[in-house]
Amino acid sequence: MGRSLATRWEQPAVFALAAAVFAAVALLPMLSLGGELLRGDALSHAARALSAPRTWKLFAASLGFAGAVTAIALVIGVPLGFVLGRSDLPGRRLALWLHAFPVFLPPFLLALGWFHLLGRGGLLGSEVTARALFSPAGAVLILALGLTPIVTALVAIALQAVDPSLEEAALLAGGPWRTATRILVPLVRPAVALGALVVFALAFSEMGVPSFLRVGLYPGMVFSRLGGVDYAPGEAFALALPLFGVALLLLAFERAAAGRRSFAVLGARSREVPALRLGRWRVAATLLAWSGAVIPLAPLAALALRATRGGGFSRIGPSLGSSVGNSLTASISAAGAVLILAIVIGHAAARGRRPALALDALAVLAFLTPATVLGVGLIATWNRPATQAIYGSGAIVAVAFAARYGAIGVRAAAVSFAQGSVHLEEAAAVCGAGFVRRLARILVPMHARGLAAAFLLALVFCLRDLETAVLLYPAGEEPLTVRIFTFEANGSEAVVAALSCVQVAVTAAALLAGSVLLFRRRS
Amino acid sequence: MSTAIVLEDVTVAHLGRAVLRDISLQVGAGELLTILGTSGSGKTTLLRAVAGLVRLQQGKVRIGEALASEGERLLLAPEQRDVAVVFQDLALWPHLTVQGNLAFGLSARGVPREERRERIATVLKRVGLDGKESRHPGELSGGERQRVAIARALVLQPAAILLDEPLASLDFLLRRELLQLFRELLGEQGMTALHVTHDPRDARALGGRVALLEEGRLEHVGTLESLAGRGDLPYARELAGT
Repeated sequence: MGRSLATRWEQPAVFALAAAVFAAVALLPMLSLGGELLRGDALSHAARALSAPRTWKLFAASLGFAGAVTAIALVIGVPLGFVLGRSDLPGRRLALWLHAFPVFLPPFLLALGWFHLLGRGGLLGSEVTARALFSPAGAVLILALGLTPIVTALVAIALQAVDPSLEEAALLAGGPWRTATRILVPLVRPAVALGALVVFALAFSEMGVPSFLRVGLYPGMVFSRLGGVDYAPGEAFALALPLFGVALLLLAFERAAAGRRSFAVLGARSREVPALRLGRWRVAATLLAWSGAVIPLAPLAALALRATRGGGFSRIGPSLGSSVGNSLTASISAAGAVLILAIVIGHAAARGRRPALALDALAVLAFLTPATVLGVGLIATWNRPATQAIYGSGAIVAVAFAARYGAIGVRAAAVSFAQGSVHLEEAAAVCGAGFVRRLARILVPMHARGLAAAFLLALVFCLRDLETAVLLYPAGEEPLTVRIFTFEANGSEAVVAALSCVQVAVTAAALLAGSVLLFRRRS
Repeated sequence: MSTAIVLEDVTVAHLGRAVLRDISLQVGAGELLTILGTSGSGKTTLLRAVAGLVRLQQGKVRIGEALASEGERLLLAPEQRDVAVVFQDLALWPHLTVQGNLAFGLSARGVPREERRERIATVLKRVGLDGKESRHPGELSGGERQRVAIARALVLQPAAILLDEPLASLDFLLRRELLQLFRELLGEQGMTALHVTHDPRDARALGGRVALLEEGRLEHVGTLESLAGRGDLPYARELAGT
């Protein structure tokens, strides 16, 4: 009797604990932001900051910037997703991997690479290319090339999840072109919408690329109020409000366009379906697709060349310091915490439980909220005498990462759980296994690959983060991205290029190790 | 116009394992042939080989006068074979209405809009779905969805129709009703049909010759009664026992 009572309460208790932890990490910063506005003369700061014409000019410029990046990412990413995901293009899997790699790197690092290629003193540079690079259009293009793989990969993966019979029925009746345009495109629309949303949110939040290319945008203005000559934290809280409004609109769009359906966006086919034939378009498509895979890698080659020629690697030691260790410690801790929360929340979300869906919405909101807003909220929450142990150490960076990238883990875990039959879990329950036992013995082992993918995705997104960490890192605890960003302004070009190569190597190693684990054959 | 289907020494392998072995089979123009066999015997693969959805390892598939597959080469792509399939899971496109599901193949074949509308109306009336053109598959009952799948295949007026256990998941009453519909429609249109099922009662209800597949080999072709007399085959012994 006592045991059955204990098992009955296991699931709600574990869920409540996970929900409380996640709410403390992701919800409190947003509430604290509101609280800050009600203190002292914060409202007068807000009125002053929000009534300045420059504020709204930059805000509109940021919306236009993110919109342009999203439009380019869709125009390139959707067709590329089809060609790399479902066609008979030669070497399409390798091309997809190469194309996707830059998305796991901080975009400002790609801008740095393009600078070494097209800047005035770059390998292919001239006055004209340098002027084009240091312009809003240059910033849009560089960021679009860096973020397009999100759309490509989501479309390619969603195509893998389409029921093979639906595609075969269409192939028989209409041929490959009509199948792609009339059946597959509508079926992967939630993935396209999700891709557009993620690209828009990341572009809207992006600070590194515009500030490196001297393009003034809204997040940079908020950031400038938190340090330097423009220091005015009260105004930063106020300026964060319009950004938060955009995040709420994006969340509403996500709920309408994808919502729970996005749990089914990523998946695996039950069987193989013949690739869509490119026919007479094969040569042209091959050239275009491989260009799409290789061109975004050009700036990485330029960085490696600059570092080697300038002797950057031999002088890297003092600049590197403990930044790689800081990056790995914060990212692994955050990804681990995200995984634990994602197992509990993602499982409940996959089973359609309302509180979990609310937490999923919170996680998505935290991801869509520009990093500057979340960062400002985290400062307001944790910068107190009682929480200095966290705020004054590298733990605050891990907390910030967990808040910002929790959605990636929750979504990836939910997708995995949603694909498993609920009957397997019910069979364990009728055998008398409580929730914790079912999780440990049935669900986690069954979904080990999906959960490992959730961890890996959260890890690489933490590793690439600049915008969140740059607001919060305590002295001596800066991750590698922040170290590169700060050195880029006043350090040696070759050393900065070498530091960038280390960032690339760390990311590649994490992805390689993860891929080996994920794709090894089961014995 | 209906067309004969001929398989010559067809072998299909998956992951290095032969799923169909040296199958030679002829379905006459306008004939209904039912392929019987237990789960995993290769029935569905045989249909997919005819439709061009899997490549052969060796052998030939002819549809009418045309050589459709030869060895690993697909000489005719699936959409060029003029065959229609009713899938086991129906494969109705969820984002399209009933009208949209039926119109898809017709517009791909360049059928003019007016004729398209007429053909869809005629076939929907014939399967008892008139008035439901604007519904999505999710808004229909199981039996109605089944009828849409049949209508989608028939509206194309294909040379041959391939039926992949289309009644497998239905209850007894609905199954009987749809078998009756199948029999009428195939009779009316004189269409070549290859029907796959594990249930000999379906074969009996539809009539025509049967073929038995066991572990990828064609063990018998003839009437259901002649199959029941094959005491050397486990499936036939079970059949005789029922």
